[in-house]
Amino acid sequence: MKNFSNQTKGLSDRAIAWLFVTPTIILLLAVNIYPLIYAIGMSFTNFYANKPGMEIKFVGLKNYIKILNKEDIWETMQATAHFMFWTLLLQALIGLGLALLLNKKFKGNEILTTIIVLPMMLSPAVVAVFWTYIYQPQSGIFNYIINFFYDFGEFTMIGDVQLAPWSIVLVDTWMWTPFTMLICLAGLKSIPNYLYEAAEVDRANKFQQFLHITLPSVLPFLLLALLFRGIENFKMFDLVVELTGGGPGSTTEVASINLKREAFEKWRTGYSSAFAVIMFVTIFGLGNIWVKVMNKIKDK
Amino acid sequence: MSSALNTVRSPLEPSSFSRKSAATLIIIYAFIALVPIAWMVMTSFKSANDAVSYPPKVIFEPSMEGWVNLFTQRSRQSKEYLKSLPPPETWYEELVRNRQMVIAGPSRFLGRFLNSLIIGFGSTFLSVFFGALAAYAFSRFKIPLKEDLLFFILSTRMFPPIAVAVPIFLMYRKLGLSDTHLGMIILYTMVNLSLAVWLLKGFMDEIPQEYEEAAMVDGYTRLQAFFKIVIPQAMTGIAATSIFCMIFAWNEYAFAVLLTFSEAQTAPPFIPTIIGEGGLDWPAIASGTVMFLVPVMIFTVVLRKHLLRGITFGAVRK
Repeated sequence: MKNFSNQTKGLSDRAIAWLFVTPTIILLLAVNIYPLIYAIGMSFTNFYANKPGMEIKFVGLKNYIKILNKEDIWETMQATAHFMFWTLLLQALIGLGLALLLNKKFKGNEILTTIIVLPMMLSPAVVAVFWTYIYQPQSGIFNYIINFFYDFGEFTMIGDVQLAPWSIVLVDTWMWTPFTMLICLAGLKSIPNYLYEAAEVDRANKFQQFLHITLPSVLPFLLLALLFRGIENFKMFDLVVELTGGGPGSTTEVASINLKREAFEKWRTGYSSAFAVIMFVTIFGLGNIWVKVMNKIKDK
Repeated sequence: MSSALNTVRSPLEPSSFSRKSAATLIIIYAFIALVPIAWMVMTSFKSANDAVSYPPKVIFEPSMEGWVNLFTQRSRQSKEYLKSLPPPETWYEELVRNRQMVIAGPSRFLGRFLNSLIIGFGSTFLSVFFGALAAYAFSRFKIPLKEDLLFFILSTRMFPPIAVAVPIFLMYRKLGLSDTHLGMIILYTMVNLSLAVWLLKGFMDEIPQEYEEAAMVDGYTRLQAFFKIVIPQAMTGIAATSIFCMIFAWNEYAFAVLLTFSEAQTAPPFIPTIIGEGGLDWPAIASGTVMFLVPVMIFTVVLRKHLLRGITFGAVRK
C-alpha cells in the first residue's frame, strides 16, 4: 500500500490533511478566537465604542473589581440561576418521564415523537413573539385556560414581578423538554435486555429494576442532555429578550441581557468585555466540573 | 422463549394496559405541546378583532387580512377618495379597501425572508464544504494534537454570542462588513463549522476505509477518491448536516439583532417589529411566524432519523 501511494501522482496524505483542516482552523481563529482575545484585551481598558475620539486608558483589573462588587450583577446572576435551576429540573423530570413512556413501544410511537419534538426546532425569538400573544392579559388563551380551571380574574404573566420569571421557565420547558426526552430515549434503548431478564430471575420487582438498572443506565445520558441545556440556558438571550425583555424592572434580566445592555445600549465596551470574559470563564468552569462528574458516574 | 410459552407474555414486555396508558399520556402531552403552534396558525387566519376577542375564539370566520397585511404596506384614505378609484382588481385589494385603506406597496417582510434564505443557504454551503474537508482529515489521517483540535472546534460553540458580538461588531465596522450578507454568512459559517465538523466526522467514520483504498489501487489519487467515493457515500450525512446548519442559521437571533439593521436583516429580528395601526397586528405577526416556521417543521419531519445525532453533535448516535 505504502509503496503504491508513493508511486501515484497527486498530493501526499500529509499535505491533504493540512489542506483540509487549515480553512476550518483559520476561520475559527479569525471569527472566534481573535474576537475573544480582542475582548480580553478591551476588558482591561476604559474603552467606549461610541466615543472614537476618547483616549483609551489601561485600567488593570478595575472593570473586574467593579463587576464583582456590583449589586445588579448579582441580581442578574440570581435571575440566571433561577431560570437555569427550574428549567433543568423540569426538563429532566418531564423529559425522562416522557422517554420512559415512549419506550413502551406502542403504535404511532414514531409520529408522536416527531410531533413532540417540533417546538425544539423552532426559532426561540419567533416562539417568544407568539407566546407574548398567548400570554396577553386581556385576550390570551393561556389566561383563558388557567381561568377555566380556577378563576384568578385578569392577570398578567409577563408584566408581573412574581410571575415573569415563571413565564420564561414555562416557555423554555415547553420548547426544550423534547431535547432531554430524545437523549434519555436513546439511553433507554441502549440498555441490554439480559439485565432485566437476570433481574426477573432474581425476583426483583419493577421498582427495584427501575432503581438499579434503568436509572443508572439513563443517568449518563440525562447528564449529557443537561450539560447541553445548561450551557445554552446560561447564554440564554433570544427567548427572554423577545418574551419579557428582561422586565418587569429587571426581574428576568439574565446575564446575556445585562451584557447586551452594557455593551450595546450604554456602550461601556471595556466594562462589558470584562463581564463577557467572566461569563465565558464561568461557562467553561461549570461545564468542566459537570463533565468530570459525568465521567465519574459513568465509571461506576 | 420456547414455543410452549408463546401464549404467556414475557415479563419484559409491557402489559397491554401499561402500553395503552403510556400511549394516552403521550397523546395528551403531544396535544398540549401542539396547542401553541396550532393557535398561531389559527390566529394567522383571523381578523384583527377576532384575534383579541375574549373568550378566545376557536371557531371564527377565516380572513386573509393577516397575510395581506404581512406582505403589504397600506395607508388610510377618505371615503371620497376611495370612491373615486377604479374598482379593485384583486381580492386582496378589495379586502384592504373594505378597511378604508389602499395598498401603498409591498412590505419589508419579503426582503427579510429573502435575506434569511440567502444567508442561510450561503453559510450552510460554506460550513458543510469546509466541515466535510476537515471531517475527512480528522477521520482518516494522523493529525498532531487531533483530540485537542477537535475539542477546540467544539468549544467555539460554547461562546455566548453576546460575548463575542462586541469585538465582532467593532471588527465588522472597520472592515465594512456590518449589515452585509457577506458578513452574516461568514459569521454563521463560523458558528456552524463546529457542528458540521463533528457531525460529518461521525458519518465519515462509518464509511469503510477499504472503499477508498480499493479506488486508489485502481489508480485514483487520494483527492479523487475523496470526491468520487467518500462524498457520494456520505451524502445522507451531508444532507442531514446541511439541514441542521440551515435550521440554525434560519433561527439565529442574537447576532442578527446586534449586527444587522436593514440591508441584511433576517426574519427573526424583524417579525417582532411588524406593527399595525394602533398596537401589534397579531394576525400579521402570526402569518409571518407561520410562514417562517413551516419550512423548519417540514425539515424536522425529514430529519427525524438523524435528530438525535444532530442535537448532540454526534455524541449520541443510537
